Amino acid sequence: MSFWRLALRNITQRKVRTALTVLSIAVAVAVLYTLLSFNKGYAASLQQQLQRMGVHLLVVPPGCPYEAASLLLKGGKPPTYLREAVVEEIAATPGVQIAAPGFMSAIMHDDRTDIYYGMDQRTVALKNWWTLKPGGRWFTDGQTDGVVLGSDAAVTELVINEQTDLFTPGSELWVPELNRPLKILGILEPTGTQDDGFFYVPMAVAQRIFAQPGKVTTVAIRLDDPAQAGVIGAQLEKLDGVEVITMSELLGTQQRMMESAKLLVFAIVFIAIAISAIGVLNTVLMSVFERTRDIGVLRATGASKMHIFSLIWLETLLMTAIGGGIGLGLAVVGSGLLERAVVAGLASVKFLTMNEHSRLATFDPRIVVMTLLFVLGIGLVAGVYPAIRASRQEPIAALRTE
Amino acid sequence: MAEAAVDQTATPVAEASGLGKIYRRGAEEIHALREISVAFAPGAFSCVLGPSGAGKSTLLNLLGVMDVPTAGTLRVAGATIAEGGRLRLSEGGRDKLRRENIGFIFTEFFLLPTLTAVENVQLPLLWADKDDRAYAAELLERVGLGHRLTHRPTEMSGGEMQRVAIARALINRPRLLLADEPTGNVDTTTRDGIFDLFRELNADGLTIVLATHDRELAARMDRVVHVREGRVVEETA
Repeated sequence: MSFWRLALRNITQRKVRTALTVLSIAVAVAVLYTLLSFNKGYAASLQQQLQRMGVHLLVVPPGCPYEAASLLLKGGKPPTYLREAVVEEIAATPGVQIAAPGFMSAIMHDDRTDIYYGMDQRTVALKNWWTLKPGGRWFTDGQTDGVVLGSDAAVTELVINEQTDLFTPGSELWVPELNRPLKILGILEPTGTQDDGFFYVPMAVAQRIFAQPGKVTTVAIRLDDPAQAGVIGAQLEKLDGVEVITMSELLGTQQRMMESAKLLVFAIVFIAIAISAIGVLNTVLMSVFERTRDIGVLRATGASKMHIFSLIWLETLLMTAIGGGIGLGLAVVGSGLLERAVVAGLASVKFLTMNEHSRLATFDPRIVVMTLLFVLGIGLVAGVYPAIRASRQEPIAALRTE
Repeated sequence: MAEAAVDQTATPVAEASGLGKIYRRGAEEIHALREISVAFAPGAFSCVLGPSGAGKSTLLNLLGVMDVPTAGTLRVAGATIAEGGRLRLSEGGRDKLRRENIGFIFTEFFLLPTLTAVENVQLPLLWADKDDRAYAAELLERVGLGHRLTHRPTEMSGGEMQRVAIARALINRPRLLLADEPTGNVDTTTRDGIFDLFRELNADGLTIVLATHDRELAARMDRVVHVREGRVVEETA
């Protein structure tokens, strides 16, 4: 006979009640584990993808870049521009591998906003994860005709033009601002990012549409050595009329946004866990009340108050540990299925799992240990009050209980 | 049946002097025991006889260190529990004394329903960080339940359950065995069997104090302490 055996016998005395309590803990733990591993997996995938994009620095006109981006997405014009000549100055800076200029601006319609992105082959080289649908091709440098549609933009145009067949390379897109059509050269495969909503045109065409010759809005930079981003960024800041954003700053912004969302989700999970902790407390307390006589027997046979406290505490811990174990098992098996469902349902996270090594829900032993420690902590806290109540029983009073 | 030699000059296993117990229920005071002075010598087989409510159980509970007196002096197994109405032994000390020196048998058996017979017998050892299943089985064998080791209380008769309770009370090799109406819930045949078992244990030198209201049973004891309204009214040997 051991303490463990006695505790196990006690919690299995009321099988259904114990099973329901264990189930509530298991569900709470499964949700907690899934959220933690999804959160970690999402952050890791995001970081990995941003690193893989190979953009280490972004040069923009001075001012708040987020405000400019926000303006643009609402159909406004960028407040300031970069000189196109700065692209060559950046490219000439030692350590810069690719400096890809972009001209992004929007045209507001009654029911939609068309965002044009002027670019050249350097952007294609930089965004090497882009692929075109079969039959498509990119425009060449110096070309003054042609457009490549983002996958969402292609669908939007389809609806607007009341066409039933998807655009195919070779068909034309009427651009009122140019007063002429542009030949559709290709359609981008979905990326799951905002890139899907853009119209990609040669740099000169974009500058003509928006009447900004010799201007660009961004220069995306890939470095030979990403570790030099800080040093080279500081050098580039010295160029006239530029502001440099490092990817770590961009990541930081992204992560801060994720933190806010995470906080909200975790607040809900903690409420669920608190409810299951109260459930555990209630179950153990009920069991203590029902077993008052048995506790009297234990005291009469020589158990001290500390023995009783430890026994009841151990019972609570056992219940939470079993629930935690089951919950973790369910979560580890279930998160894979859940990931497939999430990826199937939300196109915006697809790009995070395009790489076969990227997983949204990562199995991390640290998360397992953290979740287990957390649930044991819940057990420790939830078990204190019933354990104190039980240990306060005097042997004779307890034995006299009906 | 052989009887244990009782040395009346030896230090008593349990000794009460001017012992009193008052229960308070609101403003009301209930005098359960008044001025009890009694001693139980090593190897004695004594009986506390009295009608219901006389204070037999209260006296046994005090002797078993499961309750504390409100007046008088009490010494059990060499330890002073209370002196002049003041507690001298801490709660932890009383738990230890109970764990190591006292065996208690109740009318209602009080076996744990989730444990088997042998586990119920082993239970008191748990509090002493010991485990001796072989000795528990040996004790069950001795009380005639060697074939019921893994049976649960729900699968046993009243007499069998009381025998398991007796084995449990013996597992810590007590110096004092206290039995509160141990035959109160069994038929007369079973009662006689249990009494014979007590006789055997006493013959081995165990000091036993048995509380009962059964005069027929009391007549078979070496010494009878008559209790009425919380007082010792007579002692017969």
